[in-house]
Amino acid sequence: MTEPAVEPGGGETRRRVRRGAGRRRARRRFAVVLTFVLPALVLYTMFIVYPLISSLQYSLFSWDGLRQGDFAGLSNFVDLFTKYPLSERIPRALAHNLIFFAGTMVIQTTAGLLFAVLLHRSRRGKRFLQTAYILPHLVSPIVAGYLWSMMLNPQFGAVNAALKGVGLGALAQPWRGDPHLALPVAILVNSWQWVGFPMLLFAAALAGIPEEYHEAARVDGASAWQTFRRVTFPLLTPVLGIVTVLTFIGNFNILDLIYAMQGSQGNPTFSTDVLGLLFYRTAFDNPDPNAIGQSSALAVLMFVLIFGVSIGATRFFRRMEARLK
Amino acid sequence: MRKFCMVITALSVVAAASACAPNTSSSGGKITLTVLSWRPEDTAGYKTIFAPFEKSHPKVKVNFKPIKNTEYLTVLPTELQKSSGGPDVVQLKPYGPIQSLISGGNLAPLDGQVDVSKWDPNVLQAAKGKQDGKLYGVPYALQTLQVLYNKKIFAAQGLQPPTTWADFMAACDKLKKAGITPLATSGLQPWVLAIDHQIFGATRYGGDDFAKAAVAGKKNFTDPDYTASLDVTAKLKPYYPDKVTAFDYPDAQTLFTSGKAAMYPGGSYEVGPFTKTNPDLQIGFFDAPPAPGAKIDHALTSGYVDGSYGVNANSEHKPEAIELAKWMATPEFGQLYANTLKQISAVPGITPGDPLLAQSLQNYKTHGATYMMVVDFGYGNPLGRDQEGGALQKMLGGTSAADAGKLVQKGISAWFKPSGG
Repeated sequence: MTEPAVEPGGGETRRRVRRGAGRRRARRRFAVVLTFVLPALVLYTMFIVYPLISSLQYSLFSWDGLRQGDFAGLSNFVDLFTKYPLSERIPRALAHNLIFFAGTMVIQTTAGLLFAVLLHRSRRGKRFLQTAYILPHLVSPIVAGYLWSMMLNPQFGAVNAALKGVGLGALAQPWRGDPHLALPVAILVNSWQWVGFPMLLFAAALAGIPEEYHEAARVDGASAWQTFRRVTFPLLTPVLGIVTVLTFIGNFNILDLIYAMQGSQGNPTFSTDVLGLLFYRTAFDNPDPNAIGQSSALAVLMFVLIFGVSIGATRFFRRMEARLK
Repeated sequence: MRKFCMVITALSVVAAASACAPNTSSSGGKITLTVLSWRPEDTAGYKTIFAPFEKSHPKVKVNFKPIKNTEYLTVLPTELQKSSGGPDVVQLKPYGPIQSLISGGNLAPLDGQVDVSKWDPNVLQAAKGKQDGKLYGVPYALQTLQVLYNKKIFAAQGLQPPTTWADFMAACDKLKKAGITPLATSGLQPWVLAIDHQIFGATRYGGDDFAKAAVAGKKNFTDPDYTASLDVTAKLKPYYPDKVTAFDYPDAQTLFTSGKAAMYPGGSYEVGPFTKTNPDLQIGFFDAPPAPGAKIDHALTSGYVDGSYGVNANSEHKPEAIELAKWMATPEFGQLYANTLKQISAVPGITPGDPLLAQSLQNYKTHGATYMMVVDFGYGNPLGRDQEGGALQKMLGGTSAADAGKLVQKGISAWFKPSGG
């Protein structure tokens, strides 16, 4: 719907009519655009913008239960780092989020890339395997969490039973109960569930790389590994950037899977406590009258952290991408 | 096109408006009182319980509205904040967790309106404001803590409920040799471990005498008697299920109800669900005998109030809601509640129909103690129960009792101010 240019030399009346028609058309176009944008905008404002702004506002006040008290400035934020037990739990939860992210990048992203490359080359069973890897996506993280906690159960669980069945009973572990194992196990279960996502993105990117590049590399005598390292992988950088940022956002917001596997306290002894769980407990399971103030401050901090890092990382990867060209 | 635009616009406005529309609660001259609860499993029971009230109050209909228990704590504050259309009567957690609702002015005080003159002050404490001392709820149930045992297994092994710690240890050893898990419990959930400690350790730390001294600031949780009581609980590890730290609460329940474990330290609230899961299960109760070095030379049945029913300060039918709260403090409600839901009613003078519960109530009356970490130290973050349970988890992993005691002290002293200091 582009505006036709007004021809020169047209009569005054004709021009006025046409201008009027143009204005009408512009108005109509605006109405159409608004129609398509409005439903999403209303929902977005209601469920994203409004809660964000109100939690920022809540975090700046002191609270007495559900009653908003005086303006408190930054004291809720200071409390997060100075008041026991929060002062101990926040750094610990943050560290667990970082470990979770690092572990997921190493395991889930690497496995996703590996699967994508192998599937890209394979001729048979490609569709089937692709679907199989994606399948855990269809399960809610809560269900996946409960499912795995049953399989990892020390008494009735399938994992230890299978280990005993093949004579590896000595390797049977209290998977969810050992403070050193619980977090790595949660990372593995999370990776099991989401490995299909990076795989799909990498697969799409691989399909977009022209075969000529690989041929040229082969002609130049590059080995398979060299071709991958020098040709394929650099061309995957934009996707790697997207995967990294999305994994970061997902991992720093994680709550459901760990809640289902280890409870709201991040058992045992907070060894799987993450910021999401800590926020949940601070907000809803906290006898402190200032629970709303503290939890809102924590939510704001989490938002700033996730938003800031995501922006920074996106810029970084865009610069890497530019260097490719 | 224009029509389409208008429809979409209208729909989005409706969607936005309906999100904040109140739900009306009176129709046809009849007032509907909404009772908010975290017990969906009791819905049919409450229908029976409220029937006589609806009969004697023909203008009132009681609508029992249960919320999934894991979501209740997030739903309750939202419901109480509604300026209209919120619930009238709400189920409340006992002791600490209601304090912020009280100080926030979300609950109506009930002093002088509900007759609680014959009630035990210890029971009423569960629904009182810590600061203003006013009553904000009518307690509905008491829970007692003791060891549940499988009568069939005990008979098959030729065992009697132990009366001394030596007998108890001998029974545990015998069961273990027979390939039966002696004690089913969860080492993964701190609150379960805290209950174990109250059951096995209360005699060792000194029961209510210690609790009073700790409240007054004369003793704290690094006290050798208290740390020794933690040790009593942690030393039972060989008799707990294998890899107990990974054992979840439902796992422990299943182990006992499936007849694979002989004993289960737990609350009276377990009896109903356990017999429902396995109707053939014959459950008996006994109190843990005094532990070695115990400060109290007889067994203790620990108890606490399960919760109360309070009136929403924003209720649109406050007089009727208070009328219902009043009725919930009468023997009529107490008896109906005890019989229908198989619980120990908090109303004085009511005997539970279930013989086991009747026995445990009797035990509590003759040699009771309060569940210290909930009743006395459940008023701040971290809750005493959670901090103690976390310390016990660490002990199961090898931390010393002295260090565990320091951890408990550190958590509680973060918010607790001694009353006598």
